[in-house]
Amino acid sequence: MTKLGQWLCGLALLGSAWAALALAPPGLRLPAPYRQALLPLPVYLLVAFGCYSLATVGYRLATFNDCEEAAAELQEHIGAARDDLRRRGLRF
Amino acid sequence: QATATDQVVGFGLVAFSLVLFVYYTLWIIALPFIDSDHAIHKYFLPREYAVIIPVVAGLLLLLFIGVFITVVMWRSRKPAKKSD
Repeated sequence: MTKLGQWLCGLALLGSAWAALALAPPGLRLPAPYRQALLPLPVYLLVAFGCYSLATVGYRLATFNDCEEAAAELQEHIGAARDDLRRRGLRF
Repeated sequence: QATATDQVVGFGLVAFSLVLFVYYTLWIIALPFIDSDHAIHKYFLPREYAVIIPVVAGLLLLLFIGVFITVVMWRSRKPAKKSD
């Protein structure tokens, strides 16, 4: 089975579990606060995942060290490539 | 060492998402278990907004992405060919 298939199966499983508990068929009655918390759970998980992604991006941004030498070397390469292409006739 | 701006923005994002996560978790998961006459309820909007606001924000995000892609694709169109 492909990865997509696996993810979809997992989602379908969780989705049906949530639907079974949330739509409150007569045989399965959870106490009221649990049902109230359960109902927006998909939206909550989405927002939580969004928060986690934002936090990860922010953290990696803050802890990624500058590479001064690599930056200088890159500028050098860019300059050399530009001269070379200009010599061969490409106009910028 | 990352630039000072990078660090400020980065840790700012981390703090913001942490605050958002805690607030939202309290709103969705903790509040139903707290008596409705407790003082904490006045810091939270009615429960419907806990679903409406993220959904609307998500739609706005998709709208923005779609508009951005459209604009970029329009700008990168080559001038129409007249003859071959």
